[in-house]
Amino acid sequence: MADSLRSRLPTLLGHPVTIALVVSFGFGGVVIALTGGDPLTAFSEMLTGGFSGNGLRNTLGRSIPIVGMALAFSIAFRAGILNLGGEGQMLLGALTGTMLAITLPGPGVVVVPVAVLGGAVVGAAWGLLPALGQTRLRVPLLITSLLLNYVARAVTSYLVRYPFGEPGAAFASTAAVPETARIPRFEILGSGRISISFLFMLGIVVAAAIAYRRTVFGYETGMMGLSGPFARFGGVDVDRHALVTMALSGGVGGLVGTHLVVGETYRYIDADMIAQAGFAWTGLMVALLAFNRPIPILVAGIFFAGLQIGGFAMERATDVSWQLAQVIQALVIVAVVSRFSVGRKRLRNLEKEEAVAEAEASHVGEV
Amino acid sequence: MLEQLLDASLWASVTRALIPVLLAAIGGMICERAGVFQISLEGMMLAGAFAAVGMAHVSGSPWAAVVGAALAGVALSLVLAFGAVSRGGNAIVLGVAINILAVGLTSFLLPQLFGVRGSFQPEGGVRIGAVSIPGLSDLPFMGPVLFNLSLLGYLALLLVPATWYFLFRTQIGLRLRGVGERPLAAETLGVSPTAYRYAAVMVSGVLAGLAGAQLSLGNVGVFAENMSSGRGWIAVVAVLLGRAHPMGVLGACVLFGFAEAFGFRLQGQGLPVQITDALPFVVTLAALVLARKQFRRLLDLTAGSV
Amino acid sequence: MTAELELRGITKRFPGVLACDGIDLEAYPGEIHCIVGENGAGKTTLMSILYGLHRPDEGDIRIRGEEVRIDSPLRAIGLGLGMVHQAFKLFPSLSVAENVIFRQEPSRWGRIDRKRASAVVSELAASYGLAVDPDARVEDLPVGVLQRVEILKALYRDASILILDEPTAVLTPQERDRLFEVMRRLRDSGRTILFITHKLPEVMAVADRITVLRGGRAVARLDPATTTPEEISRHMTGRDVVVIRADGSRSEGRPILEVQDLHVAGAHGVAAVAGVSFDVRAGEVVGIAAVAGNGQSELVEAIAGLRPIESGVIRLTGTDITRASVSDRRRAGMSYIPEDRHRVGTAATASVAENMLMGYQRDPALRRGRFLSTEAVDTHAKELSDRYDIRLSGVEVAAGTLSGGNLQRVVLAREMGHEAPLILAEQPTRGVDIGAIEFIHTQLLAARDRGAAILLVSAELSEIQALSNRILVMFEGRIVAELDPASVDEAEIGLHMTGVGGG
Repeated sequence: MADSLRSRLPTLLGHPVTIALVVSFGFGGVVIALTGGDPLTAFSEMLTGGFSGNGLRNTLGRSIPIVGMALAFSIAFRAGILNLGGEGQMLLGALTGTMLAITLPGPGVVVVPVAVLGGAVVGAAWGLLPALGQTRLRVPLLITSLLLNYVARAVTSYLVRYPFGEPGAAFASTAAVPETARIPRFEILGSGRISISFLFMLGIVVAAAIAYRRTVFGYETGMMGLSGPFARFGGVDVDRHALVTMALSGGVGGLVGTHLVVGETYRYIDADMIAQAGFAWTGLMVALLAFNRPIPILVAGIFFAGLQIGGFAMERATDVSWQLAQVIQALVIVAVVSRFSVGRKRLRNLEKEEAVAEAEASHVGEV
Repeated sequence: MLEQLLDASLWASVTRALIPVLLAAIGGMICERAGVFQISLEGMMLAGAFAAVGMAHVSGSPWAAVVGAALAGVALSLVLAFGAVSRGGNAIVLGVAINILAVGLTSFLLPQLFGVRGSFQPEGGVRIGAVSIPGLSDLPFMGPVLFNLSLLGYLALLLVPATWYFLFRTQIGLRLRGVGERPLAAETLGVSPTAYRYAAVMVSGVLAGLAGAQLSLGNVGVFAENMSSGRGWIAVVAVLLGRAHPMGVLGACVLFGFAEAFGFRLQGQGLPVQITDALPFVVTLAALVLARKQFRRLLDLTAGSV
Repeated sequence: MTAELELRGITKRFPGVLACDGIDLEAYPGEIHCIVGENGAGKTTLMSILYGLHRPDEGDIRIRGEEVRIDSPLRAIGLGLGMVHQAFKLFPSLSVAENVIFRQEPSRWGRIDRKRASAVVSELAASYGLAVDPDARVEDLPVGVLQRVEILKALYRDASILILDEPTAVLTPQERDRLFEVMRRLRDSGRTILFITHKLPEVMAVADRITVLRGGRAVARLDPATTTPEEISRHMTGRDVVVIRADGSRSEGRPILEVQDLHVAGAHGVAAVAGVSFDVRAGEVVGIAAVAGNGQSELVEAIAGLRPIESGVIRLTGTDITRASVSDRRRAGMSYIPEDRHRVGTAATASVAENMLMGYQRDPALRRGRFLSTEAVDTHAKELSDRYDIRLSGVEVAAGTLSGGNLQRVVLAREMGHEAPLILAEQPTRGVDIGAIEFIHTQLLAARDRGAAILLVSAELSEIQALSNRILVMFEGRIVAELDPASVDEAEIGLHMTGVGGG
């Protein structure tokens, strides 16, 4: 056992993710020092705050939106589709779920699932929109999905202020979700509770893992992501799969958004939700770090959640702003994408580019 | 209604609105010509906006602020250059990561350096002011529209013909275009794609940083978290719609500037602010749909790109 | 006389392969020196070293007696080496003149002098009989003209040693002869021409001296006056070559593929396929001979469902598939070995097992319950690999790590494993070693004998002649001739390929 660990140590140490973590924390430490703080105290507060005691429970709770949005992004990205519209899908899903939970009569057992479903459907529709733009109109969804975020923000801001707003409230917000219509919680790790959405999130992780490896749809979308031309050549219905994955991606985003209100804050507050939309970007980073694989996404998602919770703790204990956690997260991704590694073969991207260009021009020659 | 459209003050706002987008878009255009898909303009703009306000606060000088903004943009651009050009990483993913990094860094440094949250005004109310050109700025329509801009604004407008000349009439421009089209072919003739791409990316960093300076110090005089508000993305679309040609890019930027300025007008007439905020983005989406024939290369790049 | 170019002991290693193993070579001024070898013998690596893209691990290079270090393409150009590339290194959206002058533009203070550029290029072209329009955009030009532009690039830089890497792959026999005339003219002006090829008739036609490469070594130096194609071939392969020839019997089978009046759009609004009609029957191989760019790629892509059709009808085993999806066509009995095995025929980053699964993923035999069984998928890949003689350490390796010949076997195994009634085979042996070429030809003929209908598209006329029952010649999007392989020779086929020959 020790032998195998020793033999794997060099690969682990040289692995892009390890190096990325070292570089990012190093950079973070330098920034803290330069702006007058003490890196060691700050980091120890961050790590204990995020991964021990009550902090760990908060971390698990915070991992719900992060892992959720990571799954949402990865469903599309493993098929080669960059869904940058997670923010908008979350927001619209959240507002839908909230309003359904507030206005629908009936027992919680009925209302909650309907609200959640409603949020998912609206999120799916908002994800389907750019996908249709790409499959029917050939407009790249990378850009349209992102632009629709700003449209979604405007729409939700408007709706929360005028038709759906609670009159007389200090901030623009809806009414509170009635107690019977809230997503229930359960006890974990001692004397605290987290939302049962956590269990659903785990369920989605498992379902994704199985679907990717063992279903025809999982295989075909995976091949789309590895080589679009090959998938098309093999008979995969690329356009239809693009629509389905974007609908699933947006749907999961809508679920996450609904959970954030109906399961956590119990009120759709405009400014607050726009800030929480940042989970879409954290999720994106987690998905990249985990190479779109569900179990690594779970692990990385919990880790990033811990960084953030730890960041809050760090800010309470020291004077270092919690946003440092965001900086470190982004740096990890930058480092991973820049293929930092020790002793690995470097790809000649120029040759790949050229091969694509030449194949397009259908010139003869050794590829 | 027609009088509204011919109103000089409306078009003056159009120019004001399009300057930051145009500066960033020109940088993006140069990168596109060099074969680098540059989508981190948003982040570089934000970084430039922050650096400008920070430098203004510390030094009291708008010139120092502009230099600071350019340097901030270059610093972020080096991340893109290193990651995508030297290491061969995916430029799109890297661009998104840099945007996130910029938001995180500026939101972190705001309380860390200046002790405030949300927004910050530099001491002394330093601004990048408008410089009116004597004589020309008194012309009936053109005056207020074209000749009452900040120095950055004049720079942006002058860069349009300047980059045209650069790209299509000079040696370096020819080599840049070659690098963008067939980097290996350029390499076999002794033109280094790496060098040209680094240069292009750094230029885009400078320009996007300057765009940010115009946004913060020029237009409003403060830095607010996330103040680039999607303009960097609109710049990316402007490059696509304009087919990386200076005149096309200018045209696209005018379109968006008009949407934003017109939106403000409508706001003044009672339309809810949220609707008018969404207007530039809706216009952008509509333009994308109308111009849809030109996106093959982007579609090929993003499909199967993991 | 001093050698113009002398290579001594050139050795180059890449991870896992010894590309060049102590190569010696001497080439003199005023000489056409042929370097022959099959694919994988080390020709391409040797040329990249000469051109400054790679540094040799051992050995030295002398030019006109002086030892030189070629550490960049710019240095190679400076030393008088001019490379005419196999896959043209031109900029499509730039003009001919801009391509030729690139990096050495006539200029004043950074501004290009466009009139002078045009004039210089025209003069240069005229003095060597290479007709070009300096202001035409490269992307609008046919392939034969592009080669002239590449030669002009080298001449513009005062190349004294011209390296032509497999230049005839894209030319009709007539264009090839014109190229040979240009080569002779350049040789007579005192230049050294290194002509790399694997086509022996060409070697016998133009060579002054021959160096044969095999397995990274220079194994023979021959004089064309005293050697024969068989001897050269024996040095190239180390053994006697088996020539596979079809027995040319006509098929009585029913039509499997029926194409009627097909029109397919091409680039720039010109029709790529302009009214093509033909049948392929069970148990026959129909070979389409055409020069690159005459619509044959578009034709095959349209039949495969990867390119939209303007008008016409395509039927497969009696079913109308004109508007059918790719998966419907495959279900109707189509299998396809595409021209581009790296980008289209396989997914480089996926494992061999994943690559082999494509087309079989709905097969009930590969399931366990409601899900795919990973063991069954792996077994399926292993069985196909064994049957088609693919050398693998395991089916989980990435397809991109395989050699050209091995990768093509993967494609073949997967496509032919369906035992489909129709096989579309596009350039099936391009860039593949001789052993694999023989194997692929044997497999195709075996499939034909089993009753498959095969549509073969190839730029190698010898391959077309060896395998086809009937030859269709395509020119400018139309079928201009139907020929019997047994009763025509290469020259006649070539004539039809240029549109001449009384259609």
